[in-house]
Amino acid sequence: MKHTPIVGTSVPRMEGRGKVTGHARYIDDMTLPGMLHGATVRSSIPRGKIKKITFGPGIPWDEFVIVTSEDIPGKNCIALIEDDQPCLADGIVNHPEEPLLLLAHPDRHLLSKTVEAVSVEYEPLPAIFTIEESEAQRQTIWGADNIFKTYLIEKGDLDAAWQNAAHIVEAEYTTGAQEQLYIENNGMIAVYDSEQGITVWGSLQCPYYVHKSLMKLFALPANRVRVVQMETGGAFGGKEEYPSMIAAHAALLAMKSGKPVKIIYDRLEDMTATTKRHPSRTRIRTAIGEDGKLLAGEIDFTIDGGAYKTLSPVVLSRGAIHAGGPYYWPNVRIRAKAVATNAPPHGAFRGFGAPQSLFALERHMDRIAQVAGISREEIRRLNFLRPGQTTTTSQIINEPINLGKLLDRALDLSDYHAKKENFTRHNREGFRKKGIGIASFLHGAGFTGSGERSLGSIAGVEACEDGGLRILVSSAEFGQGTNTVLCQIAAEALGLRYEDVSIAQPDTHDVPNSGPTVASRTVMVVGKLVQSAALGIKNTLIASGVLSDSYSPDEFRTACRAYVAKHGKFRSFAQYEQPEGVFWDDDKYRGEAYAAFAWAVYIAEVTVDLTTYSVTVDDFLALQEVGKVLHPVLAQGQIIGGVAQAIGFALYEKVIWDHGRMQNGQMTNYIMPTSADLPPIRVYFEELGNVHGAFGAKGIGELPMDGPAPAILNAVEDALNISFRSIPLLPEDIFAALSERATPETVPTSPRGDA
Amino acid sequence: MTASSQERPQCEISFTVNGMSHTVRAYPMERLLDVLRHDLELTGTKEGCGEGECGSCSVLLDGALVNSCLIPVLQASGSEIVTIEGLASNGRLQVLQQSFLDCGGAQCGICTPGMILASVHLLNKKPQPTLEEIREGLSGNLCRCTGYMQIIEAVADAARTGAAK
Amino acid sequence: MRAHPVEYELVSPHSLPGVLSLLASEPGAWLPIAGGTDVMVQYSAGILPARKLVSIWNLPELCRIETSADEIRIGAGCTYTDLREHEAINTEFPLLSSAASWTGGIANQNRGTLGGNIVNASPAADSLPALLVYDAELLLVSARGERRVPYSGFHIGYRKTQLAPDELIRAVCLKTRFSGYYAHTRKVGARNAQAISKVCLAALGRIAEGTVEDIRLAMGSVAPIPLRLTATERILRGKRIDSQLVQLAKMTAAAEIQPIDDIRSSARYRAAVAGNLVAEFLEQLRTNQERTERATRVLSIWNDLPPDKAAEEILPCCGSKAWARQMAARRPIFEEASLLSVCDEVWKNLPQSDWLEAFRSHPRIGDSHAPSSAQAKSAAWSGEEQRKAASADEDIKAALAAGNRAYEQKFNHIFIVCATGKSAPEILAILERRLRNDKTTELREAAEQQRQIARLRLKKWLLS
Repeated sequence: MKHTPIVGTSVPRMEGRGKVTGHARYIDDMTLPGMLHGATVRSSIPRGKIKKITFGPGIPWDEFVIVTSEDIPGKNCIALIEDDQPCLADGIVNHPEEPLLLLAHPDRHLLSKTVEAVSVEYEPLPAIFTIEESEAQRQTIWGADNIFKTYLIEKGDLDAAWQNAAHIVEAEYTTGAQEQLYIENNGMIAVYDSEQGITVWGSLQCPYYVHKSLMKLFALPANRVRVVQMETGGAFGGKEEYPSMIAAHAALLAMKSGKPVKIIYDRLEDMTATTKRHPSRTRIRTAIGEDGKLLAGEIDFTIDGGAYKTLSPVVLSRGAIHAGGPYYWPNVRIRAKAVATNAPPHGAFRGFGAPQSLFALERHMDRIAQVAGISREEIRRLNFLRPGQTTTTSQIINEPINLGKLLDRALDLSDYHAKKENFTRHNREGFRKKGIGIASFLHGAGFTGSGERSLGSIAGVEACEDGGLRILVSSAEFGQGTNTVLCQIAAEALGLRYEDVSIAQPDTHDVPNSGPTVASRTVMVVGKLVQSAALGIKNTLIASGVLSDSYSPDEFRTACRAYVAKHGKFRSFAQYEQPEGVFWDDDKYRGEAYAAFAWAVYIAEVTVDLTTYSVTVDDFLALQEVGKVLHPVLAQGQIIGGVAQAIGFALYEKVIWDHGRMQNGQMTNYIMPTSADLPPIRVYFEELGNVHGAFGAKGIGELPMDGPAPAILNAVEDALNISFRSIPLLPEDIFAALSERATPETVPTSPRGDA
Repeated sequence: MTASSQERPQCEISFTVNGMSHTVRAYPMERLLDVLRHDLELTGTKEGCGEGECGSCSVLLDGALVNSCLIPVLQASGSEIVTIEGLASNGRLQVLQQSFLDCGGAQCGICTPGMILASVHLLNKKPQPTLEEIREGLSGNLCRCTGYMQIIEAVADAARTGAAK
Repeated sequence: MRAHPVEYELVSPHSLPGVLSLLASEPGAWLPIAGGTDVMVQYSAGILPARKLVSIWNLPELCRIETSADEIRIGAGCTYTDLREHEAINTEFPLLSSAASWTGGIANQNRGTLGGNIVNASPAADSLPALLVYDAELLLVSARGERRVPYSGFHIGYRKTQLAPDELIRAVCLKTRFSGYYAHTRKVGARNAQAISKVCLAALGRIAEGTVEDIRLAMGSVAPIPLRLTATERILRGKRIDSQLVQLAKMTAAAEIQPIDDIRSSARYRAAVAGNLVAEFLEQLRTNQERTERATRVLSIWNDLPPDKAAEEILPCCGSKAWARQMAARRPIFEEASLLSVCDEVWKNLPQSDWLEAFRSHPRIGDSHAPSSAQAKSAAWSGEEQRKAASADEDIKAALAAGNRAYEQKFNHIFIVCATGKSAPEILAILERRLRNDKTTELREAAEQQRQIARLRLKKWLLS
């Protein structure tokens, strides 16, 4: 019986039909009878003590449900890595927009006016807003020293290496905050029942994160908290940890009022109050040999975590581990720290620390190339990791990746050398300067080190009454294709048709904890568990005699139907087990940091218009090795979408801060690229397979975020011979740099004869 | 039951949505978006920004693409509105919807209703648009997931398929 | 949404007199709302001061565009889409059409109105600089009657205009006397679409006998009101454009404006870019003048040739003898714009067989040799046009060759594409797409490409 491959083909998106017909249900599309609307009163200062809260005149306060920290049954915290972040401020505020109290009312229109009618008197305390201010410790706003976490990664013997250096190259690089800007704002609906406990429905990535934090907040056992993920309109990490906060708020109001409560943020609230990408500062000092080889490096990687710890240690970890890039460092010391400032806590955003540290490194490689007098492509080629060599954490590369060949293919596909030559000629006159830039990088998929083992993810597959399979995971679909790919995997694993498999809505009452939908782990780690769980169903059916070893999809369904009719629905589970021989030392931060790395070379072509100082990306090549492409259209979509976000990170998206509060919290003034701003993004894949991933897949969701920003700034430097070391790079920044260095005014001649 | 001392009256406003006549009682300054979503329970039209930047709330009003978050419902009186729910008929997807599915034009799906309506509007005016014209026609609809390319391909694909009919 | 609809009144009198009498009854109490693309944003943000609004959307008296002998009168209720789609406005007032095309996205263009843009009076409004350089006049109307005022004095301060509390703008009047000017406009925003401008320039210029006979420069986002750069204009009038004058103009412009630091940009950036935009315009004006003079010379020689020589001279631009003959028959033609529009007309009306003849004059994409029937000039141009595509890697060349063969088999003529500026991979993608066309569609597409090629070649010919 010939089997049509499902994995590797672009099957229809599992939930796609609902999305193109408008029937897909997002949280704001849902209402419950008697539902109230909730809103949050927030701090208007960055730091201080709350002296008095006054409920202003002209509002029928008795119609409102009001919740303060006193109403919290359990511990007043949003449990994450530490319990330092309050659900509602209790006497002290540590950042602008910090939640103070909650209001609910049947008429959603009344809420914003009512929120404004609550006035708060503060005793302000001095606040800090930058990494440098935090390091100075003139104000200690968190712990003893404002430091959430540090890591130290060391390898080799640094001191000797400096002696032998032909060149020492040193520089500092910074990246700004970035808003995830999912088009669907955060939202939740909560219901409280004294028997059943709490149920929340919402836009979220990690049902069990919300579950865990609600348990603690309400002092409820696991079976009395239920979290259901609705169709989620984009997330990118912005709905990894924050939903726990908004769920807590909705649930508290539901508990106090005895009614369902819906909280939906508008764009301004979502942008100003929720998480953003951690701003970063990286200082790199490298010793280079005469031949251009990296002899040693000291990397100082610091991220701004905002006012509470939240996920900063994990972002820091990934950023620190990726700080060495795809290169061989015989000797390296990476010092990483996450520090506190009085801004809303920064959080998960696609890439999760790696875009920050890799931006610095890939800019630095171009600098090294310049100092060493070696071309930008050669300096990379010389230093690429080779199979058998070790990373900065002493992980041995044991797959046959040939980065030199990958680089060659990228250079070829982008016509790099010819273009570089043309651009040099082209740039001699005229107002438009062209440049081309390279970034080579890697991204580790799955949780770091022992993380997957700690998670102990479980995936399930259920045999259904109609003879089909239903996948049970807490992995959330938010556009990246989770539903589709997991169904492909199960179907392929059992030789069924794609239509024979469905996937359950992530509901903590129904699905096991397959871990959060983050870290590019879903296809690779959870997919493999789904594969095993599916095989479990098959084995059960075969063992029971209803199914023979070789069968057609219809035969499977018949057998499955028969079995379920006789024994009832049954489920097969598979739990993550760390592979043999995987070694990770959490104290020394050494060993196998990730089960698999995806590798990439990206090349950006830009034009800088000296009339307006703006940068346009004219062409973008994204070449990556990803293990196996399970769904070509989805995979391509992930890369293009990630590159687009990273172009925003590099050139457009600036958060304008004023004393810890975002000033441009609207889409008019927070600029993301439109369809008229992006070039064709050309995507190519290579597939080396991956023993740890379902059907050889590696994670790819975050990879495309790491490369574009440095590739673009490398291209800008190629065009202008000015080194920019900070993103976002706006036309105003380019203008400022040019006017600083401008001496005699050269008036370029206008171009002629261009048809 | 309200907090305001200055209450204005509601009025009755009639219009056609997806071919069906409706009369709603609403405040004249209620946003058309909210009336569609709450009074008519047509939740396919989405709110992404509330300021006419993202296009998720796009509908066709008398054949013109508009941002329904910026239209007071009174001004929609007597008009013919088409929302995303009005495209597929009897369960059969329109060519454009199928193209979005085939080409990966919908990822998280939140921008998709508005994006599809903007595409319908474009193809109504320009049945054979160039890639540049597609880019321009969709430049008022923001998508954070796709980077636009597969959406543009979907529209080009629909234009080809449509022309072949 | 931060406003409570219950607190707002919106009425819709459905007639202009009805609106005007309401405004007269309580001057200043009623805020007119047309398309709502500004008012509704403020409303939703909870910052609209007005509580009583009167709808002026779709009032017939405000939505007409009327052309008379020397003027176009644009109803204040016309939308940006109306402006973009109006042929006379595109021809006579291209700066206004351009501005309309980059105001918001399509959805906002379908609702935003010219009158709203003026009355909202943001200094960043896209259409206002164009109205300044076109010397617009406004027809203001109230229950008391009508008055006509020059637009130039209409803005009296930041978001303040001369409009009386009981008045509306009825129409914007533009005299059609600018078609002889070189028109240029550019908007600088944070992105290519849906951007509030950081700086924008609308400019008109005319050169006579080598010097600037008239010049008009207006800018947005560089002062509390849209600004006519009168000082800069003064130093330019009567002068010959050279690099010194351009520098002086840059400096004068930068000194004349009053840009600020705000959430979108900085004063220094705005000043620098403003100067650059002026310089860019002046360079283009000068280049255009040179082009116009050359074109005039070429055309005047061509106009004097005997018909068969004239046809022969122009044949390489298109390859169709019938086209060349008809072009020659349409002489005398005096300027580039007419030449191109005649080209389009003639081409459109040719029978299929003549289209095919034109196609035959080209080499295949990717081939270095033109068919021997092509003239030397045509062959040279083909080489130039395909230059970018020629440097392709072997895989792409092979794919192009295969694609060409498949195309010819299906359609019985060679694949025609306007190749200028297109890389080989881009051309290959176009070829693959068009291979899927049916014959009728494809013939249309090929003919359209040929039309574009002919136009490009005509432009080059005018520079020869």
